[in-house]
Amino acid sequence: MSKGGKKGGTSRYGALLGKEMLELARSMKLVWVPLVFVALGIMQPVSIYYMPLILEHGGNLPEGTVIEMPMPLPSEVMSGTLSQFGVIGILVLVLVYMGVVSGERSSGTASLILVKPVSIMAYLGSKLTAMLLLALLSLLCGYLAAWYYTDLLIGKFAFGEFLGSFLLYGLWLAFAMAATLLFSTILRSSAGAAACVLVLLALLSIAANLAPHFAGWLPGALNSYAAQAANSTIEYTDVFVWVIVCTVLLIAGAYALSCTLLRNSATID
Amino acid sequence: MSTLLEVSGLSRSFGSVQAVNGIEFSVGEGRCVALLGPNGAGKTTTIRMLAGLLKPTSGAIKYAGQSERADVREGIGYLPQSPAFYPWMTGLEFAVYAGKLCGLGGREAGRSAGEWLERVGLKDAAKRKIGGYSGGMKQRLGLAQALIHRPKLLIMDEPVSALDPVGRREVLELIRELKRETTVLFSTHVLHDAEELCEDIIIINKGDIALQGSLEGIRNSYRKPIIELTMEPDEGSSRWARELVASVAAGQGGSNPLLADAMLQGNELRLSVREMEEARSHLLRSIVDNEVKLVRLQAGYSTLEDLFMKVVRI
Ligand SMILES: Nc1ncnc2c1ncn2[C@@H]1O[C@H](COP(=O)(O)OP(=O)(O)O)[C@@H](O)[C@H]1O
Ligand SMILES: [Mg+2]
Repeated sequence: MSKGGKKGGTSRYGALLGKEMLELARSMKLVWVPLVFVALGIMQPVSIYYMPLILEHGGNLPEGTVIEMPMPLPSEVMSGTLSQFGVIGILVLVLVYMGVVSGERSSGTASLILVKPVSIMAYLGSKLTAMLLLALLSLLCGYLAAWYYTDLLIGKFAFGEFLGSFLLYGLWLAFAMAATLLFSTILRSSAGAAACVLVLLALLSIAANLAPHFAGWLPGALNSYAAQAANSTIEYTDVFVWVIVCTVLLIAGAYALSCTLLRNSATID
Repeated sequence: MSTLLEVSGLSRSFGSVQAVNGIEFSVGEGRCVALLGPNGAGKTTTIRMLAGLLKPTSGAIKYAGQSERADVREGIGYLPQSPAFYPWMTGLEFAVYAGKLCGLGGREAGRSAGEWLERVGLKDAAKRKIGGYSGGMKQRLGLAQALIHRPKLLIMDEPVSALDPVGRREVLELIRELKRETTVLFSTHVLHDAEELCEDIIIINKGDIALQGSLEGIRNSYRKPIIELTMEPDEGSSRWARELVASVAAGQGGSNPLLADAMLQGNELRLSVREMEEARSHLLRSIVDNEVKLVRLQAGYSTLEDLFMKVVRI
């Protein structure tokens, strides 16, 4: 058995990932989390399209008022959708995964798994993979729905813009998931982990807006880069490259730190 | 007999609580060893350290025949005190999953899982969700998943404590079979379970080893003559008994050279004696002189239960 150590390692990762995906399917999270994103994605173009109608029937306007609202550009609708994902979408993802590690440790299932000859890297790696898959799948479903309704009601939106903004926003979600993994490993309380992640993400977004000179190279800037990509106003500067590199490094770092912390914690389970 | 596991100077503290206090023992290959002690003795703490789930404050745990680089967990099967599973999985799915985590290929894991579930009596429930299992079924699934990779050493924490009498019997019978195939170490607070299954016992109390050795050896070397008395619950008899206990406690044999120990529980007096003949006649004389209303007097030998009670009372 010790001979096939390498091969065994990947197959154990496969088994762990299989369990994570099966859990997502059985708990219906694989369905309802993407549905939340789809709902958010539909809401943005639809509510903008029907806004004049909604206001007209609001009843507070004097008789005979004609509402003239310029229809926003498709790219504005799409970047507006992203900011919807940034609030409710991220909240849902973080709440779904806030106990991803701490939950298994406190329920006791972690002690059954971690006495088996599996590496901590495979254990946490399978969790991070499942988190990324769910986040990107949800984003893709929601963003495709937004694209479809924008196209239908408001106007054309190009594939290049779609792909660019999807990838940049996906990287921001990936960062959020890695941070959730880290805090769920550090903290025994899942509510505490969720609070820490949400505060961290909010701080990063605000910092990128308020102090672009200091925080412009941090993951928080991905929000505005994704919006720029949707509006085709993006400039591929050095800072842009730095944001990408920095975010990827931070995701890898959060994973590595989670592994180290769990491996060295006095009580693994 | 070769040694499978050697533990030396193992300690663990939680803040100011010294849960395990420098214990030393070894487990021989093929033996069945019970870690026996009252609640809070440090059994769970010890076992979690052996399973690698808890880091010792100090001390060493050495598994024999394991090279430096090999993962010691390959050779261990572990069943925690109350195993927690994923309620949304079926018993079979969990057993297969456990097999794959131990490095078995998909087909081998499936075959091994089926075999073990059958052996622990879960064949019919294999395709049911674990969420609907009873405590006994979970314990048996816990055994199946611990044994799926045929470990050299099976470690269990109070495997029968939480079960009803029927479940308890089933799991004890299973362990009796398993111990023929693998080395077994389990903890319990019930002496009877240890006596029934084990060759060796390690009695721990408040984090220290109070006594360890083979069951036979301990039984023989600690066998002491004892006299048990039952009296009527009247004032005169009780006073006599209390004075007797006090004289043993005070003199430690000085004023009462015949008695090594005395314990009064309600109307029952248990005396461990140094020399049966003399002690018995002395006692009978004293009973007559003090007009003690005797109900029953029995002379015999101490049991392991007496020894266990004595070492954990300290
Ligand atoms: N995680 C912990 N934090 C603080 N104290 C603990 C912890 N685990 C165990 N203890 C203490 O260590 C002692 C031994 O506990 P334990 O090993 O669970 O005993 P047993 O299993 O023999 O009943 C007890 O006094 C218990 O309160
Ligand atoms: Mg215990």
